[in-house]
Amino acid sequence: MDILTKIISTAMLSIFVQNAIFERAFGSNVVIYASRKDSHVTGFTIGLTAMTTVASMITFFLDGLLLPMKYGWLFMPLVYVAVISILYIAALLFLWRVFPKTFSKVRKYAHLAIFNCTVIGALFLNSSYGSDIWSYIGYGFGTGVGFFLACLLLNIAHEKLDSDKIPKAFRGYPIMLVYIGVISLAFYALVGYTVDF
Amino acid sequence: MAERKDYPICFDGLFRQNIVLTSGLVTAPVIVAATTAERAAILSLSFFMISYFSILICRMIPKKISYTVRIILYAMVAATVFIPTAILVNTLFPETAPTVSLYIEIIVVNSLLLAKTESRFYLITYAAMAVDAFVYIVGYAIVAFAVALIRELLAFGTVFGAHICDALMPAAKSPFFGFFLVGIFAAACRAYYNRKKAAGEKEADVLRKEAEA
Repeated sequence: MDILTKIISTAMLSIFVQNAIFERAFGSNVVIYASRKDSHVTGFTIGLTAMTTVASMITFFLDGLLLPMKYGWLFMPLVYVAVISILYIAALLFLWRVFPKTFSKVRKYAHLAIFNCTVIGALFLNSSYGSDIWSYIGYGFGTGVGFFLACLLLNIAHEKLDSDKIPKAFRGYPIMLVYIGVISLAFYALVGYTVDF
Repeated sequence: MAERKDYPICFDGLFRQNIVLTSGLVTAPVIVAATTAERAAILSLSFFMISYFSILICRMIPKKISYTVRIILYAMVAATVFIPTAILVNTLFPETAPTVSLYIEIIVVNSLLLAKTESRFYLITYAAMAVDAFVYIVGYAIVAFAVALIRELLAFGTVFGAHICDALMPAAKSPFFGFFLVGIFAAACRAYYNRKKAAGEKEADVLRKEAEA
């Protein structure tokens, strides 16, 4: 029960308090791209959540080796990229063998869902704040759910933000950023931050 | 196999195709971490070192290698280049560099390297690519400094660390303000090019009518 509580509380932390998109702006371009189509929201979320969760589990053990070393932090990006790469190949092989139709659909954008700041950022944050394997798993999973939340909020607003009601210069990418900024501000309030002015 | 083009130096990467303002490829460091000019300098230097040298190296990876493997190699090369970059920025900025280390580390999977190498840099000659990539990085640095200077003035009342006034708006250092600011910059950039395009079309219309008359 303690384990489940730890996983859920860390996941909640990464969804609401340290949301990858709204608090850290990790992979803003990926979330904007993924939110355009409903199928992309699902595909990106599944790929990214699986990757952050499994990679977090693996990097927990690798962090145990690297963090005590004086210059271990210099090699962390290399090690994390290696872990992500192995999982990326494994995931593609699995899809190719078991779900060939899904494989042909996702192969075009699979690398976008895997090699992005959200995934690698989650691993780095885990190395800074994670305490045990359960918190690593919770944080990794929560990052994926937080990404889904961001995708969903952008997907809902996408049509309106791209409409004629928005000034031409702001339509599309600029208004998306402003919109993410408004939600980011709301998340600040939700967490309980107060601005000191 | 498509022939590689050697076209004149193109400055689109500065503003028209700026990677932060128009394509949104590398936004996170600017939105969250670029809150002072010193931080902007660290981010720009790191981005230059990691992206530029990785692009130069990655361009030599043969295109016949599968795309899946190439993407992995790009990220591995960038992660390797990160090592001397991190040592350099930590030596030059020992106090500030650790505060933005997360945003230096995530540059190893930046989209300029992973996306543009495939969509643009492979299509042109090596020399043209070296200049083109450099222009894109300068475009990134311009935006990083512009955003950072505004935020530094508003949030801390300083410019390049020199005291100018009292902090007018401490919340300017928050990520949400970064989103607003980059969004407004992106709109301003687009408005400028829309207007320029409209003026060009109008001029072309006049010339066509004159030629027809």
